[in-house]
Amino acid sequence: MSSPSSEDSPVAALQVRDVVKTYGGVAALQGVSLDLYPGEVHCLAGENGCGKSTLIKIISGAEKPDSGQIVVDDIVHHAMDTTAAIKSGIQVIYQDFSLFPNLTVAENIALTAAVAERKRLYSRRASRPAAQAIVDELGLDLDLDADVESLSVADKQLTAICRALVHEARVIIMDEPTTALTHTEVSRLFSLVERMRARGVALMFVSHKLDEVLAVSQRVTILRSGRHVLTADAADLDPASITRHMTGHDVDDARAVSVLPHDAPVVLEVEGLGLPGAFRDISFTLREGEILGVTGLLGSGRTEIAESLFGVLPAARGTVRVRGERVRLRSIDDAIAAGIGYVPEDRLSQGLFLEKSIADNMIAGSLDSHRTRWRTLDSSRVRQTIQQLFDRLRIKAPNVGASVRSLSGGNAQRVVIAKWLANRPRVLMLNGPTVGVDVGSKQEILDILRAEAAAGMSIMVISDDAPELVSSCHRVLVIRQGRLVHILEGQEIDVTTIQERMAA
Amino acid sequence: MNKRPSSTNAFVRFNDAVGDQWSQISDRLLVSRGASRMLILVILSFAFFAALNPSVFLSPLNLQNIAVASPEVGVIAIAMMLAMLTGGIDLSLVAIANLSAITISTLYSAVAAGNPAAAEQLTPVLVLIGLVVGLLGGLFNGFLVSRVGITPILATLGTMQIYNGIAVAWTGGSTLYGSPEVLTAIGHATVAGVPMLFIIFLLTAGVIGVVVSRTPLGLRIQFQGANPVAARYSGINSRRVLMSTHVVAGLLGGLAGVLFIARNPTASADYGASYVLLVIVIAVLGGTNPAGGFGTVAGVVLATLTLQIVSSGFTAVRLSAYEYAMAQGVILILVMVADQVTWRRRRRPQTTPVDPVAVGT
Amino acid sequence: MNTSGSSVSVLRRLRGANNEGVLALILIGLVLAMSAANPAFFTLPTMFAIVRSSIVPLIFALGVLIVIISGGIDVSFAAIAVFAAYTTVRFSTSITDPGLIGAFALALLVGAGLGLVNGAVIARFKLPTLIVTLGTQGIFKGALLTYIGSRYIADLPGSMAAVSTTNVVEISVDGRDAYLHVMAVPALLLCLAVAWMLRRTMFGRGIYAIGGDQEAARRAGFRVVRIQVLMYVLVGMLAAVGGMAYQIMGRSSSPQELVGGELDIIAAVVLGGASIFGGRGSVLGTTLGVLVVQVIGNSLILAGVPSAWQRAAVGGLLIVGVGVQALAAKKSGRRVHTNVDDPAPEPEPEAEREREGARA
Repeated sequence: MSSPSSEDSPVAALQVRDVVKTYGGVAALQGVSLDLYPGEVHCLAGENGCGKSTLIKIISGAEKPDSGQIVVDDIVHHAMDTTAAIKSGIQVIYQDFSLFPNLTVAENIALTAAVAERKRLYSRRASRPAAQAIVDELGLDLDLDADVESLSVADKQLTAICRALVHEARVIIMDEPTTALTHTEVSRLFSLVERMRARGVALMFVSHKLDEVLAVSQRVTILRSGRHVLTADAADLDPASITRHMTGHDVDDARAVSVLPHDAPVVLEVEGLGLPGAFRDISFTLREGEILGVTGLLGSGRTEIAESLFGVLPAARGTVRVRGERVRLRSIDDAIAAGIGYVPEDRLSQGLFLEKSIADNMIAGSLDSHRTRWRTLDSSRVRQTIQQLFDRLRIKAPNVGASVRSLSGGNAQRVVIAKWLANRPRVLMLNGPTVGVDVGSKQEILDILRAEAAAGMSIMVISDDAPELVSSCHRVLVIRQGRLVHILEGQEIDVTTIQERMAA
Repeated sequence: MNKRPSSTNAFVRFNDAVGDQWSQISDRLLVSRGASRMLILVILSFAFFAALNPSVFLSPLNLQNIAVASPEVGVIAIAMMLAMLTGGIDLSLVAIANLSAITISTLYSAVAAGNPAAAEQLTPVLVLIGLVVGLLGGLFNGFLVSRVGITPILATLGTMQIYNGIAVAWTGGSTLYGSPEVLTAIGHATVAGVPMLFIIFLLTAGVIGVVVSRTPLGLRIQFQGANPVAARYSGINSRRVLMSTHVVAGLLGGLAGVLFIARNPTASADYGASYVLLVIVIAVLGGTNPAGGFGTVAGVVLATLTLQIVSSGFTAVRLSAYEYAMAQGVILILVMVADQVTWRRRRRPQTTPVDPVAVGT
Repeated sequence: MNTSGSSVSVLRRLRGANNEGVLALILIGLVLAMSAANPAFFTLPTMFAIVRSSIVPLIFALGVLIVIISGGIDVSFAAIAVFAAYTTVRFSTSITDPGLIGAFALALLVGAGLGLVNGAVIARFKLPTLIVTLGTQGIFKGALLTYIGSRYIADLPGSMAAVSTTNVVEISVDGRDAYLHVMAVPALLLCLAVAWMLRRTMFGRGIYAIGGDQEAARRAGFRVVRIQVLMYVLVGMLAAVGGMAYQIMGRSSSPQELVGGELDIIAAVVLGGASIFGGRGSVLGTTLGVLVVQVIGNSLILAGVPSAWQRAAVGGLLIVGVGVQALAAKKSGRRVHTNVDDPAPEPEPEAEREREGARA
């Protein structure tokens, strides 16, 4: 590789030219181009569903583009395949790392290279030095003989990085690399990135975390709805301008919050809630008809607090009262019995039965309340509940028999919400209620929450989407380092304040 | 309030209602795709063999044979389907059935040695004990799967060996003769030309069918198999569901043992050894998804009949049992391949537009 | 720290990646206990008898092991074995005796062909292996009995019959003769060859990789379909050798045998530490697993327990072995059930605090 200096290097390590990709009529990428130079960190940013993942898959050869080219070393590829991509020195570090959990660190590092070289024999002893060399060069402390399965998330990632580098990678693409890392681990990763850059590697970071994007990269490319919006020097951008480009509009700061009656009774009372390693000393109240925001950075403990109240991660300390009555939340059954419902963060794996029908999904949480005397299901009441919710939440689907897999993100989320509404909980917690939901649907989901609150339900919205909190919440709890640091009320609630308090 | 708009509204509503009904009907057909496909297969196979050799195949004796041979396999296949619905499998069912039959036979012989009349009198109790043996077997399976956390295929592989080992040790590997005459009588009885055993089979299927599709437990079983994590987050207690499933499956295994001994007044440890794999074939053929979450009792009943029809049809047209074994394998693989091809075509366009990895961060 | 660290790693090595050490201890314990209880047990004739009875299960177990490592389950191997071996004998007795090497070559060819059917269907349509091999089991057995023959053949062709009575070791100890059958040699060689293949070839590592994470294997550039197809061909050939060994040692050929005992072999392999989820397992563990099963059988006979209890004992051992692992897995981070829904893998309080300053 030539010079480690970045911007003025004339030869791109990787060029993507007018790549188009559609899935069943939906355009995922509409003519995206970008250049990647040796010794630069290039950030690919965009909201969920903007086409980032598709672009990575096309570069790595996992998917074939409908049209367009990928140019590496003046060789034009109309479509990559995985082997060609690896041969061209392109390495992708996936969010899930794609490691082999059953093999050792050394083997994970060595195997991919051996595959790419089309070796026939494998020698544990001979492949070890190469792995050791790369680990030493990066100054890492990795147990080469440990099974990857037994590693921490950070060590798994380091293994994946070593694996990418051992095969003389010239382009490394990292998909959401910091999601699961602690601060020390992130700074270690960033210093590693600097070292790789010094070796002349071209790096692409895929991320939607703005602070990171600006901290580590030289240039930033932003995608929106499958289109290339802009490529600019990181120095010329700030979080606000990136957000604007990512979303396509200015930050919406309008509030649409009902006035809570002064005598609205307290429904949920949390006192001194603590779970070692996750959060401590959390106390707050939630009133009837209130929408309470819970915000904080990823890993701040915001999700763990919700999961504690839902009995998934029972808290070690503290008391919880529902309508004045003390409840023990040791299991999900306890939480549901106490009238608490939870729309989980990961809709696809935790919230939905994808191949089952909308109707089945809606009824999954309230089977016992639709029983006849004979312990069978009361089908007319079931049908009534389902049809009511289907109409009330305006789910866009041909009918309730359609499988949930066929629904868009917004409609799928309504189905999860409907599942809980069918159970009529006193308190409904929603974790990231509008993640991966398009703008129009987002407003409608917030409207549904407002309507439910107005009808007397108490709602907690766990989210780091500041505009969403501003527009819907009566109060916002800010969680930092596992502690409740601010309770924002009324006029205090605006996007800037929330973002500052979250990160401060 | 205003009359005119409401009349157009009524029309729109009527129109919607009709559309809705229609789509519900078509949906139901789609949902029980496994069952409707099996119905076609039953009719086709029946027509095929009836056309090839009507005098033999359509003879009352042959039809009765089909009806007498299906119940024991069918009941075990339904139990297998239950286990598969949760995403598991139960390899120990045939061993449970044999253990139940052996228990009944041994107890009967023991009592009959002293007082034959009393032994006959005790028949209901003996049947009950047979069912309890099945229940206990299922209970132990359920304990291993839901409490200890052993993968169902391994847990039931182990218990299959244990139950079978107990049976072999108990009988000394020989066949036991001796069973309540009432049971044998029931095994040979017919109601309006339909064998009693077949009626028992249909009743059992009906009950389990209602349990699977019309009770909270049945839906929980399906949800547990469709997505265990989402089931947990929906407040479904997986331990309880897995335990109940295996207990019900064990109970059906016990019932199959009673059917064994009713059809054939003998009991042995290695009766129906080929059933272990046969019932998996039937369950999958009947539209049960081995990965869990999907399956209908109707599909399994029809699959049982199809295989039985093909079996006796082969005999009727003088094909051997070996050719039947071959046909069984070919049918299974063709059905799986057909499923896989349509399944992929159905879901491919919709899988990727959303960034699945990005959700939840 | 250093010494304890190294002693830990020594222990780790002794225990083996798949608990082979534990299994070896159980085996030694069993042998010692039996020898103490019954002096007749610890004699060369008994040992050779155990080895002899292990030969066929061991060869089958090797094939089952390979499939299990790749994340599948094969229940068709017995049908392939009997198909290949019986076809060979039929051919040799009715057409011409191709000699021992020719006979094995023919059996291997048939085994490879049948394995190819398995591999092609599984890899092409991505179907569950258990279901596919259930289907092919019926097809293979049915085709054998329909088209090749269903008759019991009492006399093997000359070339094979000659091997039937050959022993590689014949020793007379205390007036009793101890024989070690010659088929022990190919069995041992096969063990070594499969172990070498699994550990030292990219093909073998590819099988582990596919068993560990098929998608990751694809992303890493392994040609998954090719590896799978080749693997099933190889497993078919192993089954064919097992079938030949079975007939040679039984001095007859019957198309009705072997099929039905698949689950016993699978139990022995799982007992030998192979993970039913794929990615884990070793030839050493499998060998120990097969030996333990055979020793239990022999012990029970010598101890006066009806041999009928052997199955129950193996089943019980399987449940205990897997159960202990399952409980241990549950305890250590409840990994079995909650790898998806554990939100934060036990963050340290300090680390947790540090996360906050991510932008600094």
